[in-house]
Amino acid sequence: MTALALPAPAPVRAGPLTLWNRMRSDEPLFAATALFLALLVIPMLAAAMIDPRLHLGENIWIKPIKFAVALSVYTATLAIFARFLPAGTTGRIAYRLFAGAVVFAIAAEMIWIGAAAAMGTSSHFNVDEPVWAALYPVMGAMATLLTTASAVYAWQIARNRALTIAPALKTGLVWGLGLTLPLTLVTAGTMSSLNGHNVGGSGMGTEGLWLIGWLRDGGDLRVAHFFATHAMHFVPAFALALVWLGRPQAVRAVQLVALGFSTFVLGTFAQALAGRPFLAFIG
Amino acid sequence: MPLETLFSTASSLAMVGWLVLLISPFVPRVAHIVSGRIIPLILSVGYTALILAFWSSGEGGFDTLDNVARLFESRELLLAGWVHFLAFDLFVGAWIVRDARETGALPFWLVLPCLPLTLLFGPAGLAAYFALRAARRPAHALA
Repeated sequence: MTALALPAPAPVRAGPLTLWNRMRSDEPLFAATALFLALLVIPMLAAAMIDPRLHLGENIWIKPIKFAVALSVYTATLAIFARFLPAGTTGRIAYRLFAGAVVFAIAAEMIWIGAAAAMGTSSHFNVDEPVWAALYPVMGAMATLLTTASAVYAWQIARNRALTIAPALKTGLVWGLGLTLPLTLVTAGTMSSLNGHNVGGSGMGTEGLWLIGWLRDGGDLRVAHFFATHAMHFVPAFALALVWLGRPQAVRAVQLVALGFSTFVLGTFAQALAGRPFLAFIG
Repeated sequence: MPLETLFSTASSLAMVGWLVLLISPFVPRVAHIVSGRIIPLILSVGYTALILAFWSSGEGGFDTLDNVARLFESRELLLAGWVHFLAFDLFVGAWIVRDARETGALPFWLVLPCLPLTLLFGPAGLAAYFALRAARRPAHALA
């Protein structure tokens, strides 16, 4: 909590609105981006209801909706984690330029994926149409740029000596955020160079796992991408659970879990490369 | 969803907004929120969805009258155009009601004829409102 020189501090109330206000004061740009991306889902859901077109067997709007939700969760998470940055970080010019570039990359990704859906073509792995094929590597660079925000947060939180949170939680934040970029680069980068998310199988979303669409009849590299990118959620969540269970000093346990999680991600990656579905017994 | 259903849903929704505007002197705040925000925004989301889903299937464009006509040969885009009318006309109607009330420029009984005009012939209603407002403006005091 920021110490404000107020005569009577207002009682702290927990709740969604309090959280939202905190996010907006800690990182206004990422908080606003998260909200706007969430609102973007509304017209795309409406479009999905009236648009008969399919892409790889599923409604053409599913993909941009997934990206808007994922990027909204990503920027919302960064806005929540912004409170752990060293004091004054978000006010520095270098940080502001970087955050602006990240939001620009997010906007570019959404426009690219949304426009591809509107025009009924592929965004990723599109090598048939010259303009889209030329855009694909640019968007890969944009995706990398926007993901670097997690690594920058890991680095800045790691060097924040004034942080008063439990050591286990700090370790969880640093390791989770720190793992997101390298694990994502390996998994998503491979997916990009293989020019498709499926290894064997139909590649059609119709038969996929409920809601998330992971392939049931072949390897799906999106599984590893999903867990890789969500390292910034899973590892801090485990650390938070440890703190709640009364183990705020369990730094070593958090590091072990981070390593275990990385192994798990690489395991799902190897599984997909071997052409086998994730959790084949479901669905 | 059949286009005809979308059409009648959008039209009924807009009509609700216009009816609320008619009783707006009694419920100014509700009228502003319902007819000036909620319903125009629902219609805007619907319009956006139609454009996202069907814009690429249309032919023609905005540059010549012939191209605009070709655009509206697509029934989906014709519906989008209609929802555009509904959304913007209602929004302008709600703006007229609010502007008249807040500035005190026009009593409601003079706003009343502007509303059906805006509903049926949007820009004509807006022009009529501004004309009435100008005509009712008190004379400047002579120096």
